[in-house]
This record gives sequence, C-alpha cells and structure tokens, in this order.
Amino acid sequence: MNFLQQLINGVVLGHAYAVIAIGWTLLLGVAKLVNFGHGQMYMLGAFVTWWAMFFLGVPYVVAIPIAILAGIVVGLIMQWFMLKATFEQNLVSIMVMTLGWGYILHGAAALVFGSTGKILDTPLSMADVPIDALWLTWQDIAIVIAAIAFFLLLQYVLNHTKSGRLVRMVAEDPKLSQLAGINVKSIYYAVFAFEGASVAFAAALVAPRTPILTSMGFEEVIMTFVVVVVGGIGSVKGSYFAGLALGVFSALFGAYVAPAYSTVAAFVVLIILLVIRPEGLGSNSGSGVH
Amino acid sequence: MGTQSNKKQWVLLLLAVLAFFSPQIAGGSTAVYSAVVVISIFAVMSYGLDIVMSDLGEVSLAHPVFFATGSYTTALLATKLGVGAWTTLLGSLFVAMLIALFVGLVTLRLREFVFSLVTYALTVVAITLASNWEFLGGSDGIRGIPKLDMSFLGFNLIAGNDKELWPYAFVLLVVTIYIIDRFRKSHLGIAALMSHQNPRLAIMSGISHAKVRLQVFVLSACISAAAGWLYAYQRAYLSADVMDVYFLIFMLTAVVLFGRQQLLGPLAATILILAQEKFFSLGGYMDKIILGSVLVLTLAFFPNGLMGLFNAASRRFKKT
Repeated sequence: MNFLQQLINGVVLGHAYAVIAIGWTLLLGVAKLVNFGHGQMYMLGAFVTWWAMFFLGVPYVVAIPIAILAGIVVGLIMQWFMLKATFEQNLVSIMVMTLGWGYILHGAAALVFGSTGKILDTPLSMADVPIDALWLTWQDIAIVIAAIAFFLLLQYVLNHTKSGRLVRMVAEDPKLSQLAGINVKSIYYAVFAFEGASVAFAAALVAPRTPILTSMGFEEVIMTFVVVVVGGIGSVKGSYFAGLALGVFSALFGAYVAPAYSTVAAFVVLIILLVIRPEGLGSNSGSGVH
Repeated sequence: MGTQSNKKQWVLLLLAVLAFFSPQIAGGSTAVYSAVVVISIFAVMSYGLDIVMSDLGEVSLAHPVFFATGSYTTALLATKLGVGAWTTLLGSLFVAMLIALFVGLVTLRLREFVFSLVTYALTVVAITLASNWEFLGGSDGIRGIPKLDMSFLGFNLIAGNDKELWPYAFVLLVVTIYIIDRFRKSHLGIAALMSHQNPRLAIMSGISHAKVRLQVFVLSACISAAAGWLYAYQRAYLSADVMDVYFLIFMLTAVVLFGRQQLLGPLAATILILAQEKFFSLGGYMDKIILGSVLVLTLAFFPNGLMGLFNAASRRFKKT
C-alpha cells in the first residue's frame, strides 16, 4: 500500500512539475530564451493567490485568474527590458537579466508579504478524497486534471490554430517570419506573457500542497530545467512525459532513499544525460516548438 | 607605449598606497575597517568570475560554490585539524581546483545557456548539501573558526579583528589584481579572448578551446576560493548562507557594472555596492531590489557598462 501511495504522490508531483515547466518549454522553443526568474515568478503566483484569497476575500476560482494576470504583467515588463537583447539573441545578457529579475521579485515580495511562511489553504486542499488508507486531497486531483487539460489545449492551439502557426513560424525562423510580415515582436511579448501566465497558474494549483515562502523558487527552476532537457526543447508532449517521469522518480527517491536529496538526485540524472548526449541540447539543435 | 604603461604603473602604485591608508584617513573606526576588509574579499571573489565572463565569454553561476569551497575547506581544516592559515589557504586552493576541474570536464562540451544552467544547478545542489550534510555543519553551520595565523620564521602574523585583518585583505586584493593584469597579457588570456571573439581564428592559430577554457575556469575558481578563505576568518562562523543568491547577484553586478575587462571595474563596483548597503541602506529587501535593478538596468541600457557610456560620451565630445 505504501508503494501505491508513493506512486500516486509521484503522479501528482509529476503533473505539477510538467505544468510548472511548460512556460519555459515554449519560451526556449520559440524565443530561445532562458528565464532564471522562473522560480520567483512561481513564488509570486503563489503569494498573489494567497493575497487575493485572504486579503481581498475572493473565492479560490477568482484568485487563480488574478494570479495569472499578475504573472502576465510581470512577464510583459521583463520582456520589455529584454526585447533588444532578444532580437540580438544576446543569451548571456538575457540570462543574467532574468537572474536580476528573480532577485528583484524576491526582494519586492518579501517587502510586501513579509518573510514568514504562509499557508495557502484552498477548499480543495482541505478536502480528502475518501479512499481508505490513501492520502490524497481534491487539490491533487485538480492538479492532474488541470495539467492534462492545459497540455491538450496548448497542443491543440499550437498545431491547429492560426496563432499557433504564427508561433511555430517564429520559432522556426524569426528573420524570415518578419519578412513574411509577421509581427515577431508581438510574438515574443506573447510568449513571455504565456510564460508568466502559465507559471502563475501552476503556482495557484501546486503551491497549496506546501507552506509558501518568499525565498522559495530555486527547486522549481532546477526541476523545470530537468523537465525541459529530458523532454526536449520546445516539445510540449515531451515536457508532459518528462515531468511525469521526474515526479515519480522524485517521490520514490524521497520515500525510499533520502527526502532531502531528491533535487540533488534529479540534478545527477540530468548531468548524466548531458554528458551522454550533449548534442541533445544547444542553440543549433532542437529549434521549433511542437 | 612603454612610457604610457610606466605611467599607468605609477598611478596604480600611488592608488594602492592611498588605498592601504584609506581606513586611517577615513577615521579608523571599526566600521571602516570592517567595510574595507569586506570590500577586498568581495572584490577578489568577483574577480574570479570576471575572467570567466569577460575573457572567456561564458556565464558561470557556480562561483558562489567556489567561494564557499574556500570558506568550508578553511573552516573544516581549522576547526577539526587545528591547522594554520597557510595550510588552509593551500587546502582551499587545492579543493577548489579539484572541483573546478571536475565541473570543467563535465561541462566541457556544453555551451552558453546549458553551461550556465548546469552551473546554476550546481549552486543549488551545493546549498542543499551544505545545509543537510552533518560533515559540512548542516543547518547549524560551523562555529569557532580560530584567528588567522600566518606566523612563520619567527614572524608573528596573527589577525583576530577587522583592523588586524586589513593588511592581509589588502595584500590578497593587490595580488589578485596583479594576477588578473598578468593573465590578460599572458598567452592564456589572449587565447581565451581570441577563442571567445573569433573561434575560427583561434582554431586556425592552433588554440585548443577546450584546454584554454578548462585552465581559465580552474584559475577563476582558485581566485574566488582565496576570497572564501579569508571570509571564513573574517566571519569566524560559517553556514550555507555563504552561497546565498546574494553572492551570485553581487558578483554578476560587480563584473558588468563598469563593463567587461576593466582592470579596476569589479573593485570599483564592489565599493559602490557595499557603500550603498553599509552606509545608505534602505533595509534588506529594498537593497535586494536596488542591487537587482542595477544589474538589469546596466545590461538593458548600458551593455558596455558605465565605462562604455563614459567612452561613448567622450568620443562624442571630441567630435563636436
């Protein structure tokens, strides 16, 4: 029974990782951007949800879109500062700038929300699923369902709609797309807005599982990085399965080996993958989104 | 050319002498000595990252780990084996070299953002290890690091407070700047710059990028570790906080603020940042926002740093 419990934990955790990582997958696939502020954007999403529920007093379902809106605003502001470097594909500057943004968000959040931990209880996280001997909340069920729905929707939009086609064209060749009359700038803004929105959505869903702190976010970045590398840059489907695999791996490793070191273990797996297959990642390979 | 570099040397020497007596000129209070010691340590730490970013053109996010390697090796050797500061210095450099060799070899074929991501992950993993592993002090950290003792041949060289530590910090800083200057004029420095700015030309002239990269990486790790060595004595207490993201943001800002490859750039930036934090602080969280903003704004609007801005302005002035 314990193994089943850990497996279910892993599946829930896996869907959480996948939905946390999806914004990065698209960001890297479309604009070749790496966002080190990702973890702090996750933190901000969690705190805005908390703030909306406990200060504005709105219900959970209303707090989620408020958090998403905040994520979009932060994403757009960041991209505004980085637009020039994005067009120049100055990855060094962009990476360092996103680190700076993460630091600013951390400082700003601590200033507004304080540095003590908060509990983000939602109606779903406080209700257990009535199955004997299993420890599962409706929040966990919601994470799995929302993640699957989100991935299916994204896959559909990318492959079967006009805007999806534009995004794929820019990912393939930004210069040519511009010549073809596509507004590449607005696509870059849209992708960063999507990054902000999706990570805030993920935070609103996943953060109720644990107490929230303004200093959190580092583990999320590492897990996101592993998901993106294992799943393949720009691959929506790959991210989903990589997230799932990583979640099951972390849950089992945490339960049977050492809970404090599951991030370390994920990192070791990543290093092994990179050493075996370094060409799997890089600016020349894996362009495009699919 | 010769007279010009001669003149530059004299100016630097004069600056160094002035710098050495600056705490006394500034009143000689404990706070002033503490400030100059920390400035020296943080500047040396930043110089380590400087040669990787400015000369090699890559962003290592693992330098807080090298800084911490110096501190942890020193703290462990001094508290567990009771050895003196010469041994801890050599030990720090040696361990940092080993770790840098390992990281450098593993990431040898990784470029740009993948390299940065792996080094970033390394920092996060190191923090996890340091705060969980009892051997490294765990969440309690390591207490009771003794005074710095570099006595030899009958010379009594012991430093217990910031005022006594200042000469050592000063020498460490001067030696570091000298090494950076020599490095930029050396074959290795030129090879690093060449393989960064024109990889094809570098290959044609027989430069092995992998080898150059590894050598620069190891050198840079040792410089940051030397700063960590002195930091352990200055703090007398050590925990995983020594790898806080603050140190990473600090180093990056110190490297980019005045522009790449400015010999005194990281030092000047360190003085500005620490002066703000020590004497014009707006509280810890606001200081974070300020430091992060300085980093973002510099890269967004003055990618060549303040010196680049100054040079562009003076060129425009000459034209008119």
